[in-house]
Amino acid sequence: MSLEDYRRDMEGCSRCSSCKWVPLNQIKSYRFAQICPSISKYNFHSFAGSGKLILGLSLIDGRIEMDEKFADIAYKCTLCGACDANCKVYRDDIDISEVIEEIRAECVNAGQYLPEHMMVIESMKKEDNVLGEPKSARGDWAEGLDLKDINTEKAEVLFHAGCRFSYDEDLRGIVRGVAMLLKNAGVDFGIAGKEESCCGGRAYEMGFRGEARQFAEDVGRRVKASGAKTVVTACSDCYSTFKYLYDRMGMSLGLKVMHITEYIDELIAGGKLKLRSNVDMKVTYHDPCHLGRRGEPFIEPWKGNKLLRFGSLKRDGRNGVYEPPRNVLRAVPGVELVEMERIREWSWCCGAGGGVWEAFPNLAEFSATERIEEAESTGADALVTACPWCERNFRDAIEKNGAKIELLDVTELVARSVEV
Amino acid sequence: MITEEILKQFEEAVGPENCSADPAILNGYAFQPFHKTEPGCWIETPLAVVLPSSTEEVQAVVKICNEHKLRFKAHSTGWGAMGGPGFDNVVQIDLRRMNSILEWDEKNRFVVIEPYVCCAQIQAEAMKRGLNLNIIGAGSATSPLASCTSHCGMGWTAISTSHNARNIMGVEWVTPTGEILKLGAPGSTGKWFCADGPGPGLRGIMRGWAGADGGIGVFTKCAVKLFHWPGPRETEVKGRMMDLDVEVPENFRMMGCIFPDAESYANAAYKIGEAEIGFLMCKNAAPLLFACMAPRLLRKMTSFPNIRAAMKAIQYGFQFIIAANSKGDFEYQNKVIEKIVDENDGFIIEMNKMPIKSMMYWSFVRASVPPMVFRMSGNFFTSFGGDEAIDNATKQALIGERIKKQFIAKGAIFDDFSDNAWGGMYEHGLFSHTEELTIFDHRDLEMGKQVEDYATACMNATIEEKLGGGGFAFFAGSHVHDILGPKIGNYHIWQRKVKTALDPEDLSDSKYFIQPEKTKK
Amino acid sequence: MATQEEIKTTFKDAVDSDRFFDTDDDLKKYATGNLLEPEGLPVCAVKPKSAEEVVGVVKKAAEIDADLIPFSSGPPRFRGDTATAQESATVAVDLSDMKRIVRMDRRNKVAIVEPGVTFGELQAAAKMQHMKVLTPLLPRSTKSVIASGLEREPITVPKYHWDMTDPMLCVEVVFGTGDVFRTGGAAGPGTLEEQWASGAAQKCPLGPAQTDFLKIVQGAQGTMGIVTWASVKLELLPTIRESYFITSQKLEPLVDLLYDMTRRRLGDEILILDGFALANIIGKNNADIQSSTEKQAAWTLFYNVGGYEYYPDLRVKYQKDDIGGLARKHSLDIKREVPGMSASDMAAVIDLPGEEPYWKLRYKGAFREILFITTMDMARAHHGMMKEQAEKFDYPVGQIGVYLQPIQQGRACHLEFILPYDPDDRAETGKVHELFLSASKELADAGAFFNRPYGPWADIAYSRCPDTVAAMNKIKDIVDPDRVFNPGRICL
Repeated sequence: MSLEDYRRDMEGCSRCSSCKWVPLNQIKSYRFAQICPSISKYNFHSFAGSGKLILGLSLIDGRIEMDEKFADIAYKCTLCGACDANCKVYRDDIDISEVIEEIRAECVNAGQYLPEHMMVIESMKKEDNVLGEPKSARGDWAEGLDLKDINTEKAEVLFHAGCRFSYDEDLRGIVRGVAMLLKNAGVDFGIAGKEESCCGGRAYEMGFRGEARQFAEDVGRRVKASGAKTVVTACSDCYSTFKYLYDRMGMSLGLKVMHITEYIDELIAGGKLKLRSNVDMKVTYHDPCHLGRRGEPFIEPWKGNKLLRFGSLKRDGRNGVYEPPRNVLRAVPGVELVEMERIREWSWCCGAGGGVWEAFPNLAEFSATERIEEAESTGADALVTACPWCERNFRDAIEKNGAKIELLDVTELVARSVEV
Repeated sequence: MITEEILKQFEEAVGPENCSADPAILNGYAFQPFHKTEPGCWIETPLAVVLPSSTEEVQAVVKICNEHKLRFKAHSTGWGAMGGPGFDNVVQIDLRRMNSILEWDEKNRFVVIEPYVCCAQIQAEAMKRGLNLNIIGAGSATSPLASCTSHCGMGWTAISTSHNARNIMGVEWVTPTGEILKLGAPGSTGKWFCADGPGPGLRGIMRGWAGADGGIGVFTKCAVKLFHWPGPRETEVKGRMMDLDVEVPENFRMMGCIFPDAESYANAAYKIGEAEIGFLMCKNAAPLLFACMAPRLLRKMTSFPNIRAAMKAIQYGFQFIIAANSKGDFEYQNKVIEKIVDENDGFIIEMNKMPIKSMMYWSFVRASVPPMVFRMSGNFFTSFGGDEAIDNATKQALIGERIKKQFIAKGAIFDDFSDNAWGGMYEHGLFSHTEELTIFDHRDLEMGKQVEDYATACMNATIEEKLGGGGFAFFAGSHVHDILGPKIGNYHIWQRKVKTALDPEDLSDSKYFIQPEKTKK
Repeated sequence: MATQEEIKTTFKDAVDSDRFFDTDDDLKKYATGNLLEPEGLPVCAVKPKSAEEVVGVVKKAAEIDADLIPFSSGPPRFRGDTATAQESATVAVDLSDMKRIVRMDRRNKVAIVEPGVTFGELQAAAKMQHMKVLTPLLPRSTKSVIASGLEREPITVPKYHWDMTDPMLCVEVVFGTGDVFRTGGAAGPGTLEEQWASGAAQKCPLGPAQTDFLKIVQGAQGTMGIVTWASVKLELLPTIRESYFITSQKLEPLVDLLYDMTRRRLGDEILILDGFALANIIGKNNADIQSSTEKQAAWTLFYNVGGYEYYPDLRVKYQKDDIGGLARKHSLDIKREVPGMSASDMAAVIDLPGEEPYWKLRYKGAFREILFITTMDMARAHHGMMKEQAEKFDYPVGQIGVYLQPIQQGRACHLEFILPYDPDDRAETGKVHELFLSASKELADAGAFFNRPYGPWADIAYSRCPDTVAAMNKIKDIVDPDRVFNPGRICL
């Protein structure tokens, strides 16, 4: 598709500002009523979801050039999907996220990409990861765990660690804990280790679709070779890429895709994981965008006038993964879950996605700080989430701002209770 | 293009990061498909955009504009063409950074706010205090400061919370020439409990039935009335709209009251007003509810004569919500509404137990439905809406329906069974409001062109049929005043004099207000 | 400025000969006589009988540079808003003979009245259609409904006071240019008759369009235009009514109850009086009032509850129950009478315009009043300050009458201190005048809002808001460019 194919989406904006607010029915306070990190930080309307529709329309109507400022607006956005989901509370015919992705693809095609993003792409090309780390070290996180290597053995479940979990030493304990939980539950799973490559999702979000397709092919081959029936990942970005983006690119993995929280939820329900020890803690849960509203399954694009698209055939965030992580938290004895105001489809973004963490650290920090304040306002002892990118960004912000709230992954609480 | 020198002055006034003349930013403010009669999406592109954070910064910006004879237009949320530039070379003042709630006075029931606080934010906090506010028809994403000072004021709960022109307890205003004017008690005492005086009420030059839509300066603070809220202080809400799940409080009762004809409808309305019952009374045409909730179904329904007949049969009705302060109050209101409906040959649809109850309750109380009006077709236009006695307001719906039929017949607007009247009464019947909504797709330029004709037909009907003061005809732009004015007491002469007196250089963008003598076309 | 002879000659031609007056006896009817500064008399008075004649008078005033002061009410006059300066070329425009009740509309609960219609006259007409007029507390019998509305006198039913303009809706006003303008729904489209035929009833108090000149002429003390008719909202007479008192030695619990009642729109007429003010209503003369004051509680809240067409008894019952619950919350008892007056008698008294003599004159023959707007929670502090001031000027504290009227549905209140004095006692007269000036200033400094800036309050009020003065002068230049209306009044 091209940006021109989204003309009716862009022209259709009613300028109602729903893209800036928490869904009106869900606004619970003055303080936590806004939903878009971009416009909350930069204030000019162009930075809102509506603003980016107008940006695209201005381009194809020949009113503006694609220049640095254009790219600045297009990329100062985590692609969290809040604007898209909120717009679709009211509208069936506008896909804001797709328009933003299309704008970025056009930016890349026109050479208006950011140098920081180019570095990510280079790293992907050279080392198969987004972090500039050596490919050879990708499997080091699993050292000593004696996990099945799917490059040489078959397994029912392929566990995909993802770039962040593979390389971020601060988060190593989490991914190792996940592996131990799966072992503890008797799951037949394997990892690709150093042969694992990036899912390619970040490349797609940045507008590098060709590169994204290449990685999708690579992952697809590996997955097929593994014989696995299910791919499980603890990274929400990867989850969204496998669940949605690959299908959108016509490169479905052809097997069940699950996030670790979904999988553990099933294990607990099936009696395969027994949570014994109390973990006395009041926690609040942050819905990662890529697990929630951006983690919805792919739906075939509507053909024809989108005004006629059925509500059930638009991705509006309702079918993201919201309950399984909560089920898991409620299953941990001693844990009291208190919700923030902005949750589920209207969760506030951590600030890490869409290439923002790489190119606009100020925006990433702003978004994380806002979320941490919200978490603290609940009185929770810990902010819990289910995505290493959220965790990285929150961790950095907590450290910088001296916040006192503990930061945990859902699986860490499970691990404490299972005493893995 | 703006000069470097002027841009630098703006940057010094508001900070370089809060000021822009970049085309990519400017075009963000040039897109306004809603609330205008000219076809298409685009309006004028501003010369620059500035984001002040305080009254002093607004004043500085206005003074710079005066120095260089630049027009300016301020907006809060910017929803609607009247918020954007009406002419070439207008400086857009986006008040987004002025978003504070300054003061709550729970005892005396008002809140002092800046422009970019939205109704939903205030309601959420007000309810924690046992209070509520009037939310205008455009819904809770709007700014109450904007509707109080600058635009229209009919609200969903107007029967008990009035019209926002009457919900003002004090205003701070940066005039077109850059003076700071505080209306009422704030100007004399620093407190916000009265918007008028000393002596004459200068609210009279700030706005009338409608506000000046940015044509008379910039409003930077407003004290907005709050009303008693007998509902829960916090409401647990699941879902966002179509999947809403909310418990309806026991002291609330929601119903649809349907009458056989317009006369019965009006008679019942009068009696309801006299009885002083009701928290919310709002006519939402059944087709409108379908357009919002099941637009594809509505498209199909219009081709079935039997369904048309059924819609006609339930045309004269309104949603009615009782919110009682006590058991006795609840019993009284219930008995009275039942009697009134019965006496006027109507019937009641009980909504408390219907599957749709959550949406009926919470999306009406929160006034969150309005953005859904765009769902069916991408845009809507509104007409009539001039407030007057209930009989006159009711007549507007009938005449609106008659005109719409003609335009539907020629495909100029979508078929919504032609009655799409929305409104209700203010203050238990003091006066009443009915506007006729029209659904169209502005992306269809041919359709968009015919909206202008439709607007003209409605305006002419307002004059011919003597329907409440012009109503939304003003929103076609300042040129209509010279058409309407001679028919409505030559108000345009006096309104023009006010504009000339306060804005001799015509710098406060008057596209949706009135232009002073010297620039009158 | 025109000479007196020029004025007389010119205005003799403006009206019928029996409507032109220039003898001292006639002109003294327009004197206030209660002022702090010496007052003159107008040069002459005219009594137009129609809007057309008013237009003629206004145009003539502009032609020869004469000043006009409009009057709608009959004497006695108290507040100085219509006082004539000693050296002036003033013509009194007496509208009190314009007494048409143009329309009484039961369906829409509205009446259109001319300026000379008094409360008693309108009440009698409204009652025939089972409606009541929203009145201030005990207006004098000669008080014009329109004048009261233009002055923004507070009505006694807070729940019907939605905005400061209430109960006024639309007006027809003659500007200083001689132009006639109609506000609100009355502006059109169409004549009044055409509007009525179309179901309109001059009920929209806003506009027309994007300005609202009703708000400009209200509070203007005749400086912005002459109103020749107004639509005023009426309400239903209750079919059943019960009346009650609640007394307290302290003001605060009554104020707290008022907050609770007004936010729930419980009660109809509601007001608070201190013992002395109440005694002035109950008593007919000095001795009665003294005796009554000694027996009254420090503070008395009076209220009515009414039922209408549907289930009136149910309505009264639930209102009584709810108010009872709130009163108990504040440890207050509800009573049917106070010494010398039953609540139902009190209701009957305040239903009608006051009996002669005007109740504030009964104690000593003259009075000063300090009235302003504040919030109910400030009333005690303001009262405390008033008492301190009284002590400073050796004025008996027990002789200060206090009237608190919730307005804007309880979001603010009209607070009034009544200071009676003997006009024949020069020393007392002087003392009260000094007290009046001093207390007014102190109260303004403490946040009292003199939004009806009569006499010396104009300086107090406008010195605080020069921006408002500048804006008002711009408006004055529009509606009265030749400055014919009441020059020198307020800040204009």
